[in-house]
Amino acid sequence: MFTYTVRRITELIPVLIIVSVIVFSVMHLLPGDPTELMLAGAEGGAVSAERLEELREVMGLNDPLYQQFGNFFVGAVQGDLGTSIRFRSPVTEIVLDRFPYTLRLSLAGLAVAMLIGVPLGTLAAIKRNTWLDSFSMALSLIGVSMPIFWLGLLLILVFAINLRWLPTTGAGGVKALIMPAFTLGFVSAALVSRLIRSSLLEVLQEDYVRTARSKGLTGRAVLVHHAFKNALIPVVTIIGLQFGHMLAGAVVTETVFSRPGLGRLVVNAILWKDFPLVQGTVLFLAIMYVLVNLIVDISYAWLDPRIHYG
Amino acid sequence: MSKLSKMCVVLIAALFAAGSFAVAQGGDLVIAMNGSSEPANLDSQLDPFDSAKVLNNLVADRLVFINPDGAQIEPHLATGWEISDDNLTWTFTLREDVMFQDGTPFNAEAVKANLERIISPETGSGEAAEALGPIASVDVVDEFTVTVTHESPWNSFLYALATQGVMWSPTALAENTPGEFSSLLIGTGPFKLVEWVPNSHVRFERWDGYNWGPSIKQEPGPVALDSVTVKFIDEELVRGTIITTDEANVVWDLPAQFVADYEGNSDYQLLSGYQAGTGMQYVMNVTQPPLDNLLVRRAIRHATNQAGLNNLVYDGRNLVMNTPLNSVHPCYAPELESVYPYDLDGAKALLAEAGYEDRNGDGIVEAYGVAGVEDGSPLVVRWTALSRQAKGEALQAQLRQAGIDLQLEIIPGPVQLERAQKKDFDLIYERQRIALPEVLHIVWFSENDGPGQWAWTGFQDEELDSLLEQMINSLEPSEACDLARQAQHIIQDNALQLPTLSEAVFYVLENNVQGFELGSQGLWFYVYNASVEE
Repeated sequence: MFTYTVRRITELIPVLIIVSVIVFSVMHLLPGDPTELMLAGAEGGAVSAERLEELREVMGLNDPLYQQFGNFFVGAVQGDLGTSIRFRSPVTEIVLDRFPYTLRLSLAGLAVAMLIGVPLGTLAAIKRNTWLDSFSMALSLIGVSMPIFWLGLLLILVFAINLRWLPTTGAGGVKALIMPAFTLGFVSAALVSRLIRSSLLEVLQEDYVRTARSKGLTGRAVLVHHAFKNALIPVVTIIGLQFGHMLAGAVVTETVFSRPGLGRLVVNAILWKDFPLVQGTVLFLAIMYVLVNLIVDISYAWLDPRIHYG
Repeated sequence: MSKLSKMCVVLIAALFAAGSFAVAQGGDLVIAMNGSSEPANLDSQLDPFDSAKVLNNLVADRLVFINPDGAQIEPHLATGWEISDDNLTWTFTLREDVMFQDGTPFNAEAVKANLERIISPETGSGEAAEALGPIASVDVVDEFTVTVTHESPWNSFLYALATQGVMWSPTALAENTPGEFSSLLIGTGPFKLVEWVPNSHVRFERWDGYNWGPSIKQEPGPVALDSVTVKFIDEELVRGTIITTDEANVVWDLPAQFVADYEGNSDYQLLSGYQAGTGMQYVMNVTQPPLDNLLVRRAIRHATNQAGLNNLVYDGRNLVMNTPLNSVHPCYAPELESVYPYDLDGAKALLAEAGYEDRNGDGIVEAYGVAGVEDGSPLVVRWTALSRQAKGEALQAQLRQAGIDLQLEIIPGPVQLERAQKKDFDLIYERQRIALPEVLHIVWFSENDGPGQWAWTGFQDEELDSLLEQMINSLEPSEACDLARQAQHIIQDNALQLPTLSEAVFYVLENNVQGFELGSQGLWFYVYNASVEE
């Protein structure tokens, strides 16, 4: 297991290099000059070509592209992701500052996905072809189809504006996390429930489940001790992917609920052509994504003793 | 009513008034603002966003102040100023009783440090450095006298100081990086910055050491408010309704579609401010067909019904404007309002004169014998904007009645700048909000056509350029405005822009908020006299 983990982490290096090169190239192919964009956000005032040149010089944008990439790469290896053009702060600081908000929201979203998705899917599987099954699957269909921003706004209208139970916005406290977490987790809950239903139905047809039943075990014991754990393997895979998606893709939820986070950070950085910030954030997210999937892979061995990593 | 009864009534009223006055002191003001206007760096010496300047008003002062009434420039941290006969050297005398929030004294050295920081290339201050002009030197004459010498006369220097020249503690600036300082903001202002959570909120608490302020500050000593929290809210639905949940006392930049919800509602106060400048204009590319043809440009102006647009899209809440500078600008030229009245028949006649007719009967005119245009090709005009789709659709319907096919494209900011520089547009959004005649130089002086500059139409006219040059070199405001008006006549005669309303900045306040004042620029507000009744 140790060798496997080390090997997987080593494999991270080429992945990150490729990610960096792609992000760097794409950012430089997009239209727009970051110094001009900075000033375009102003409420007025033209800037002379000399001043723009000064800004480019200060920000290192006049260096040849290979040198800019080289500087970034050497810095990144040493843990320095450069300085954001717009924020004028170290990228590492900005990313680490936003990451706890994203992590909190993603974990809460994941919890919502599990707490809703697993019971719903299980119920649908064991009550197959009943109204409960239809209800669960209809609910999950709605979840998969519903636009996130719409769900978020609906929750705000009902629970914040009409009932005033929860705050409309805010970055701190559990109350401010409830609606964003539900919004983010609901779609994943729908996916999880559909997947766990189909996975469980498949496992329940297996020989070892029939054997367990023939030994006289109760339905609950068969489900909990024999079927459920095996049905979880594909679910764990999708949860890992969903968690990675939540880390980087919570931008809509973050915007609707006015929360800080990496999703909003990276989208704004792209719009402002803040090269160092985009590169740094994407690199950080890539590391997180790969690590989450590594944890998922390792968990397979725990879920299914037949799986060994050597 | 007997005398005794009357006295009792007066006494009771006085007691109530006294009671309410006592309650009105202090309080925590929560302001919800547009999240997309949140500055990346709260230091307005570096960040060009207007919101950075407004937030800096809470923690810092400037040498001079623009009075909300009449937009006159008044003393603030400077008690007075003189300009040399050659119009190059400004001498400022400073208040002697001011210190920064970290205990650093405010004096001529502090002014020198701040101005030199702004203009230093290492600082990377784009807009502020440009606005202060070509400063040759900043010299300390004595502890409370400082001179600023320009390489050439810079008539907008006081305006630049009032908007861009925020004063920070030189000690704090020296001890912190720009990124660190953005979370500190040590100034001489009435509040101290306590916390900034980007994309969420920024919180300020009253500084009890504050004992100065601009002329609008009514009471001596610290301000009444205990704290000010500004929440950054992107989502319009939330910004439009948050005040009903008691999570905010004020909404700054209330989305227009929510204004009706608060009109006539006695629980709220609705304020609106307009920003002097060009208004919401779309400038015309005169370097290529079809808008290289003056007749077509004029036809577009005649085919546009701004009042109809205002009523249809904005419930009539914005300012109709038909001039290069809007009616709240000091150099507004009212005589130009009637140059292009809404006249559909006139527009069609102009198009016919230009060689455009609808021979195939599809409602869109085609070119016949128009230079540079293939015969039979329909008159298509691209309308390039960053947002405001509804306005574009209304315009599209109006122009179609004259036979013009207005094609809408909503693009992101980077693409807009690229299109403008490549002259790849017909009509493109451009708004500048500056209450000075210089705004015309920015948008219309033909040499301002490079990266970072805003003269996009490609129109070249020696007389216009000459007027604009004279205008920016004029130190006499009335003379500069006269020149600005003459320049507007040329712009208007040549139909170089399509003005489409000046949008209001709306504020909604809970009734328990007192003393909240708007600045002359519309987007600015002041809380020197504000309080929130708990």
